[in-house]
Amino acid sequence: MPSSVPGELSNRLRRGRSDGGQSSDGESGAVSGSASTRDRAASSVPLLGSELNVLFRRRRTWAMLLALAAIPVLIAVAVRLSSSVPAGRGPAFLDRIAQNGLFVAVTAMLVSVPLFLPLTVGVVAGDTIAGEASLGTLRYLLVAPAGRVRLLLVKYAGALAFCLAAPVTVALAGAAIGASLFPIGPVTLLSGDVVEPPEAAVRLVLIAAYLAVSLAGLSAIGLFLSTLTVVPVGAMAATVVLSVVSQVLDQLPQLEWLHPWLFSHYWLGFGDLLRQPVLWDSFASNALLQAGYVAVFGALAYGRFVTKDVLS
Amino acid sequence: MSRAWVRWVPAAAVPAVIAAGVLAGSIPARAGDPLPEKTPAQVLALLSEHGTKTLSGTVEQTSELGLPELPNTGPSSGPASAGGLASIAELLTGQHTARVFMDGPKKVRIQVVDRLAERDLIRRDSEIWFYSSRDNSAAHLTLPAFARDLPLPAPLPEPQFAPAQPDREPSAPKPASPPEAGPPDARMAPDMPKPEYLLPAPVMPRPEYSTPSPIDLATKLLAAMDSSTQVTVGPDVEVAGRAAYNLLLEPRTQGTLVGRVAVAVDGETGLPLRVSVTARDQAEPAFQTGFTSLSLSRPDDSLFTFVPPPGATVKELQLPLPGARPWPITSGFPGSPGMVITPDAFVEAGRSHTVPAMPRPTVTGAGWETVIGFPAPPAGQASMLREALLKDPFLAQAAVVVPGGRLLSTTLVNVLITDDGRIFVGMVPPERLQAAAGAVAK
Repeated sequence: MPSSVPGELSNRLRRGRSDGGQSSDGESGAVSGSASTRDRAASSVPLLGSELNVLFRRRRTWAMLLALAAIPVLIAVAVRLSSSVPAGRGPAFLDRIAQNGLFVAVTAMLVSVPLFLPLTVGVVAGDTIAGEASLGTLRYLLVAPAGRVRLLLVKYAGALAFCLAAPVTVALAGAAIGASLFPIGPVTLLSGDVVEPPEAAVRLVLIAAYLAVSLAGLSAIGLFLSTLTVVPVGAMAATVVLSVVSQVLDQLPQLEWLHPWLFSHYWLGFGDLLRQPVLWDSFASNALLQAGYVAVFGALAYGRFVTKDVLS
Repeated sequence: MSRAWVRWVPAAAVPAVIAAGVLAGSIPARAGDPLPEKTPAQVLALLSEHGTKTLSGTVEQTSELGLPELPNTGPSSGPASAGGLASIAELLTGQHTARVFMDGPKKVRIQVVDRLAERDLIRRDSEIWFYSSRDNSAAHLTLPAFARDLPLPAPLPEPQFAPAQPDREPSAPKPASPPEAGPPDARMAPDMPKPEYLLPAPVMPRPEYSTPSPIDLATKLLAAMDSSTQVTVGPDVEVAGRAAYNLLLEPRTQGTLVGRVAVAVDGETGLPLRVSVTARDQAEPAFQTGFTSLSLSRPDDSLFTFVPPPGATVKELQLPLPGARPWPITSGFPGSPGMVITPDAFVEAGRSHTVPAMPRPTVTGAGWETVIGFPAPPAGQASMLREALLKDPFLAQAAVVVPGGRLLSTTLVNVLITDDGRIFVGMVPPERLQAAAGAVAK
């Protein structure tokens, strides 16, 4: 979006230099904690605020979130208009929607896991560094009192914020459209136990958190790829392709030894949060795996970015 | 840029650290206090003495039986909905996880954890519920007030069904119920191989009738087994974070497919923690089931309460008439957690109880080489059975045509279905099954 460059840039530089930490996002705590000194921490907060501000003011970000929100709407409307879905057909939980609107959110999250969420996250993560480089703003960001490491961290934090926003959007839109088109009542878990809507809402939040964690590794990969190029589309496409490749490899029984190491391996494991009692194993394994990916690709991105000649 | 390589150090160090961590984690570190030495008889006694009543844990089962893998077409449609033999085969291929909660033999809950689905068995006293989330169906069964009213074989071993103690155990790949797990029990009589047992013996409700002294029993059992089986105690193993004795049973004969059965016996409580069966000349177990996590505390009582969720289809199951002899595919004690948790299978088993005058199976060979033959059903049903078996898509795919019938071959068990409808089962090479089929025919 070349037309918006001057506005974005001036906005960012202004906010980057201002002292009042007016970040309104909870993510800032994590990032300031990782900065080494108090000074740095103090100046990271406005930098992060500006990053989030730019990210969530972008029309592209809004378009992606709207597209994600459209998934549950489409599912709900389709189920509403069609006759009842026979049990056991279509994606899991689809047959439960007509009885309980909250399942729209679950079904929509399930449907968006293989492609839509990685796609949008890939766009955001692939754009982090390469986008600035292609706009010629990377130089200015590095001139501003922000070290490369801090810029990398802030960029990654922004991508993580989107990782959280994306599934939350799907869940909220799903719950909203489900509540308006279908009755809301006690929710049947996979174990056959029934929980009341408030607890079901907690489970939905947990699923969204699970998906956010699931996408952290992909974001780190996107961040690294983004430091390799000045063409953001290349980094985005490569990130999305990698997510598809990982899922394809996960389907091949010949590569069974590799499966636990694929970052997409636990993506559909969020069903474990719908059991009674909640089975935390997959959440823990997933978090550990994603932390490994974040560490590896974070280190790679660091190596690449701090040794890189920034020419644009 | 002379120090540029320093910047890449983390990128090299992080994978190295991860690799080191993985390697360290995979080494079976058992430096802690070793368990006191025990003889095989003492371990057997410990096993049979165990009084674990409450537990909650996760059980993982892996099988490499050489059955064809069923295509897993994603999260929505699984083989479980396919029904028939395919659903049993599905439990016998690949990896399965189940959570087990138990508070005494009368409160049991088993959750077979599938991806985005779950199959449940819940028992509270005489009420038994099955639930499958895949199609939101539930089935209910009420047990009679007294265990002796159950349509099980009589508690005393019958010669036909339980020739001798040691014979029980090699008769079928029943890692779920190692012979020394409980008092003599006709339910464990040699019948169809029951590889569908999913869970190790600790969760098997122990029958209420009298128990000989465990040490006596263990010694007798060991003596009886010694002719056919070499029993040793291997180096201690660690299962689910607990130190365990490793009881090794090795057939002395070459005429069986089984190479070794290993039972991990918890050093503290005597609970069997893991059972693995290795085929002859194989390094990796062909079938293994064991706890991956275990807590001996009392599970939450509300877990054992089940009310069918709204919208679920509920089927009321009828227990077959008491006294009817179960057909070979009996799934065991209803509520014994080892059975396949599909209402269909249960109903099927129940229906077959009512098959009138089912001929008794024949047993040839002894010990690990036992071959069990099921005679052909009465004339009218023979062709029906054959048709059904041949039509089953799984069987059609898995069974190969051999002289005299069809052979379903796995690394541990072979099943021969002869052209005239008889079925021969044994943990022996196929030739022995064909020989048995020929011998019985004469």
